[in-house]
Amino acid sequence: VQPPEKPLQAEEWNKLREDFQLPEIFEEVMLNSMIRCNSPIDVAKSLLTHVAKRNGDVAYNVLVKYLTLCVQQGQVSEIRDVYDIMKVRFKILEDGAYNLLIKGLSNSDQWRMALTLLEEIKKITIPSRTCYESCIKAASRHQEMKLAFELYNEMMAKGVVPTLDVLQSFFHFSRGVNGAELQKELFGILLYLRENQIYPHKTLMRSIKLWFESIPGGNWRGRLTKIKDSGQCPVCNHQLEDSNLTEEEYSNLSESLIRDVIHGTDTFRKTSPKEFEAFQTFVESRLPFDIVIDGLNVSHIKSRKMQCENLFDAVNCLAKENARLLVLGRKHMLMNSSNWKREIMKEMQNKADFFFAENISEDDAFLLYATLRSGKHCKFVTRDFLRDHKACLSDSVRRHLFRKWQRGHQISKKKCFSSVFSQQPAFRYDCVVQTTGDTWHIPYKDVFEEKHSYQVPRKWLCIQQK
Amino acid sequence: MQSANMLLRKIVGSSVLPFAAQHGMKKDLFPLSRTLSLSLCLKQDKSCEPSEKLDLDEWKKVMKSRLQEEVSETVSEPKELSSLAAARETLEMWRLAGRAVPEKISEDQLKTFMECPSKSAKKKYLKYLHIKELYKKNDKRKMDEKRERRLEAQDEASKTDETKKSSFVCLWTSTMDKAYNWRAAQSMIFGQPLVFDMSYEKEMSVREVTNTVRQLVLSESCNRRSVDPFHIHFCNFKDDSLYQREFIKHYREAWDKLLITVTDQCYTEIFPKDKLIYLTADSPKVMKTFDHDKIYIVGSMVDKSIKTGVSLARAKRLGLETAALPLEKYLLWSTGAKNLTLDQMMHILLTLKDTADWKKALEFVPKRKYCGFVNKPVKDLKKTLDLINTLKLGKAREEVEKKFAKNYPKKYRLKQK
Repeated sequence: VQPPEKPLQAEEWNKLREDFQLPEIFEEVMLNSMIRCNSPIDVAKSLLTHVAKRNGDVAYNVLVKYLTLCVQQGQVSEIRDVYDIMKVRFKILEDGAYNLLIKGLSNSDQWRMALTLLEEIKKITIPSRTCYESCIKAASRHQEMKLAFELYNEMMAKGVVPTLDVLQSFFHFSRGVNGAELQKELFGILLYLRENQIYPHKTLMRSIKLWFESIPGGNWRGRLTKIKDSGQCPVCNHQLEDSNLTEEEYSNLSESLIRDVIHGTDTFRKTSPKEFEAFQTFVESRLPFDIVIDGLNVSHIKSRKMQCENLFDAVNCLAKENARLLVLGRKHMLMNSSNWKREIMKEMQNKADFFFAENISEDDAFLLYATLRSGKHCKFVTRDFLRDHKACLSDSVRRHLFRKWQRGHQISKKKCFSSVFSQQPAFRYDCVVQTTGDTWHIPYKDVFEEKHSYQVPRKWLCIQQK
Repeated sequence: MQSANMLLRKIVGSSVLPFAAQHGMKKDLFPLSRTLSLSLCLKQDKSCEPSEKLDLDEWKKVMKSRLQEEVSETVSEPKELSSLAAARETLEMWRLAGRAVPEKISEDQLKTFMECPSKSAKKKYLKYLHIKELYKKNDKRKMDEKRERRLEAQDEASKTDETKKSSFVCLWTSTMDKAYNWRAAQSMIFGQPLVFDMSYEKEMSVREVTNTVRQLVLSESCNRRSVDPFHIHFCNFKDDSLYQREFIKHYREAWDKLLITVTDQCYTEIFPKDKLIYLTADSPKVMKTFDHDKIYIVGSMVDKSIKTGVSLARAKRLGLETAALPLEKYLLWSTGAKNLTLDQMMHILLTLKDTADWKKALEFVPKRKYCGFVNKPVKDLKKTLDLINTLKLGKAREEVEKKFAKNYPKKYRLKQK
């Protein structure tokens, strides 16, 4: 339906309504299209007047639609009027209307009313993050940083995850403001990014940079850069944190891997207790390995080649560096077949240790176990992203640890594998927000959405105090 | 209900208000005067505004004057709401906002709703109730229509008043039931056992258990109606389990009279291990023929969250043989998981038992899950696939090939170009 351009008389509306196929939902459809076309508010008013005259009442959903239009056009007095009407007419409102009201009011000089509305929602339910976002933005726009941070801490306490836009507004509006307390809170946000391995987008990064540079007497200077593979920042020559886990993190990760990934709800799902025990004794007797290879995964690198040849190439290439290798496979690899030649398998077994799991067992879990058990220096080779194993871990802290460890220890691109591996080689440095007190290094991404959880940004913001 | 309300509002709103303000009258207008006042009202509007200028904020006035009325009515209501009442209120608002919310909700349902851990869980639960309500309403409507039609038919029949002659007495359902039960009783002595493993309660949510029991009820009934029924065993069945409570909901008193064996023992305690075969879609072994001397086990589990390998783990733990249906061998699989519902399994097994015909048996796999049968020679298969490929354009061709290659490795792979 095309909404009219000018307010209509009751009769004209009536005619339009009668021509419409489903007269019951005419108002809704009409208002929807008004919202879409951003029609003048007077047209919508005339429709409401027509409805009110005909029914003596305007239904709630029609009111909400009208409210959407008002919010879209920033008609503050109308928003207030609608709110007044709604408040008396209904005991409580539903979250859609609250969201709209808060969004509309927080952008006006009546932004404090949005705060009272927020209090009202809290009585019924936990406010959505967009509600908090609007209120926080409004507060910080009016330089009420203390209030904004109160709201921020409150939403964090309730487990509502803030959007990056909220964080950006903190940095944006704190520019040039002095105060130890404020600085502490903002550093807190940066640490929040660090702990949750969140990478800011370009806009947020720019706000952070400008805020740092605006601190009175701080003498901060930010530069955009790319970190070398060695982990050194080209701007300040500072060495970034290395990707190794701490002892505590390491043991935490290996414990939860055994508990959640290998055993899970039932050990029989991925392996069997007997097999796992056999594997454990096998690993313990030959520790430590330098590189653990997922035999089946590597054997599929080049589809043109025989599978055992692929594996043979990989083993040969890695064995040159005098490393202790462990290849994990399944029993069917030992059967002489067109893809698995017995002689080649024999030859490989001279160069590396092999463990063959049952055909129905999951070898990935063994791969992770053997690598972790061998110690921090040990790396593993597979093209698998191991997402399903990450998903088995019980909480996000452990999942972050897993990703960090994986980035530091998974080899998937080596010269000898030519261009087959498209993933990056094991990272030597840790890709998170980090600080030494007088420097900050913040990785950021160019686009708003990051596609894959295993990918990390290559671009960094280096902030240095002179 | 709502339309009645609207009508009431129409009466009150459009006619009374202009007058109520002027004359201080309220609500005690006679219904007769409505049409009169309305027309008066319209006339007034026109005479007042000859320039035809619209008062755009008039709806606010209407609403506000309505408010005053209502406020005076609702003053006596208590202000603080209990959490339950508040939840009910929220639901009502959601319904007004046009969300998928049931019209009526019971106390228990409301409590379940409040216990939902997240907003999305709440939404999901309400949508479920809403759809359930719609189904119920539709069923009721259909029942009413049917009754009406039947009454009409009866009327006509009584008019013609014809008595039919037949050498048989009409076979009523009770007679049929007796015949079925006799067969089922026989199967309990001589029939081939079929085991349902009831040890999955922990792995399932309440709704999944409900669905499981429903599927089991369906399977039991189709077994009973078959020519040569299985002797059904429910093994690992715990008393007072959720399974049992659901069964009693379905069968009521008939639960104790069912001609099946229900036991808390494991199947390994009842049958020799080497005769058992656990049917699971995760099994690496594919079933070739139906063996009349074996005892097949089906896991009574509805798995909505894709917990792979749960039933395979059971079989592995007990060291049992496993098998999967040869779905890929006979069907050109398109979408959907390979695990089938329990009643579909039952149909398939019964058909296999009677006919040993895979094509007939696999008719019971839902049609949406496969494109066709592949019992033809590979050459024909390739032809049809080529046809499909040529019909689908460029990219699609590769996709089909990929899918095909995934499902049918090596042997049937298509030639490149």
